[in-house]
Amino acid sequence: MFFVAAGMFTVSDAQAMHISEGILPFNWAALWFAVAAPFVAAGLFQLAKRSKTDLSFKPLVGLMAAAIFIISCMPIPVPTAGTCSHPCGTGMSAILLGPWISVLVAAVALLIQALFLAHGGLSTWGANIVSMGVLGSFTGYAIFKVLRSVRINMAVAGFTAGLFADWATYAGTSAILASGIKGDAPFMPLFWKILISFMPTQLPLGILEGAMTAGMIVLLYKKRPDLLEKMHVITTGERQEAKG
Amino acid sequence: MEYFSEDFRKHHMLTGIDARVKFIVAIAVLIMVISYKGFVFPLAVVLLNICLCMKMKVPFRALMLRLSEPLAIILVLILLKFLFSGREPLFSLSLFGLSVTGHKDGLIEGLMIAGRVLGAVSVIAVLGFSTPFTELMSGLSWMRIPKGFIEILMFAYRYIFVLFEDAMVIYNAQKNRLGYCSVRRGLNSFGTLAGSLILKAFDHSQNTTVAMVQRGYDGNMPLLRHKPFRLSEVVVSALFIIAMGCIWTLG
Repeated sequence: MFFVAAGMFTVSDAQAMHISEGILPFNWAALWFAVAAPFVAAGLFQLAKRSKTDLSFKPLVGLMAAAIFIISCMPIPVPTAGTCSHPCGTGMSAILLGPWISVLVAAVALLIQALFLAHGGLSTWGANIVSMGVLGSFTGYAIFKVLRSVRINMAVAGFTAGLFADWATYAGTSAILASGIKGDAPFMPLFWKILISFMPTQLPLGILEGAMTAGMIVLLYKKRPDLLEKMHVITTGERQEAKG
Repeated sequence: MEYFSEDFRKHHMLTGIDARVKFIVAIAVLIMVISYKGFVFPLAVVLLNICLCMKMKVPFRALMLRLSEPLAIILVLILLKFLFSGREPLFSLSLFGLSVTGHKDGLIEGLMIAGRVLGAVSVIAVLGFSTPFTELMSGLSWMRIPKGFIEILMFAYRYIFVLFEDAMVIYNAQKNRLGYCSVRRGLNSFGTLAGSLILKAFDHSQNTTVAMVQRGYDGNMPLLRHKPFRLSEVVVSALFIIAMGCIWTLG
């Protein structure tokens, strides 16, 4: 039966990363807003602090949000599912801007998508910020930092960060969905069913997102190491190393 | 992307209404929809919003595109609830040695979620179709959403279209040079595209900052000023919310 549901997702649900408007009942929607709020507030605090010393920081975060929005709207073919899906891009933004600002970037991209494209929703905005913004950003950032601290090369660290940021988002979305729609049924069986239903698109998509993040970070490392240094992704020594 | 733009947002019955009033009404109806347990209210909301979209002359294709993703999700959710959730079996059959059971209560629950999704999506669709972005931002600032967040939203919205054009130019160039002819090359090209977009975003942000500082930017962007509320709009909106509340209670 899992595969029946899995098959249904693969042919129809190309935008499965966002929890659609209205899926969560009021109490669950409110709870996820409450969970997301401190993270967004911390992101805003960081934004205010950094933009005091750097006037270009707000435009930079806004443009990064626009870039992440476009990347997350780009259809990528998922060979195993025979369909297209889209990356979430939060791993990438977390590496470049840090996890707190990345939550803010995700919140902005999700709000525009909810209001003008019906990807995600206003009532599920909090839930989507938690799954995409918080889980995706913090997982991607932590993995990238840990791997870089043990001198793993940029491409592998970027790939792993993108991969796990995507999969963390997918697991979070499944948990939030299961808790919201379970009704009187127990949580765990429904959680596993939703998780398995997502697999045909999300497992290969995570690999694609990892490859995309690795491609992005390697390109920046080769072409614009100064930019990575400005964003505290690499040290001055590493920049000089990159310049050769 | 053409249906994302505001090109078809012509003058109609809702354009003249204050964005704050539309926002409050939309949020009130949205809360009613997601807190309702049944079919009547969400379906009434969907019908009302489809009529409003027709009145606003929203292209049918745009409306369908807006509803396509939620409809796909609804279909999956109904089947998930029907087949995996519930206690009252409606039918049971054997497929390749596996037993498939459909549940009546699961189906009803699934349909209730479907109604909720459609109702909620239609509310936000009408809000999005009837309100320009800058007015929505002004409404958000009136609702005490932090200014820093609104500024980021405005920068992002302004540059989505610029970066989208840049992305299309890069994508077409890659495609014309067989950048997507195999999975491996496709992955490579997509990574390069993402990296190039980040570079473009960085360059645009530097140029924008220079241009804005030359025009007096001090780290804060001015937003639309709030006009006083019109009494007629407030009264009509309050009556509308009360009427919807009555349907919500009775339904």
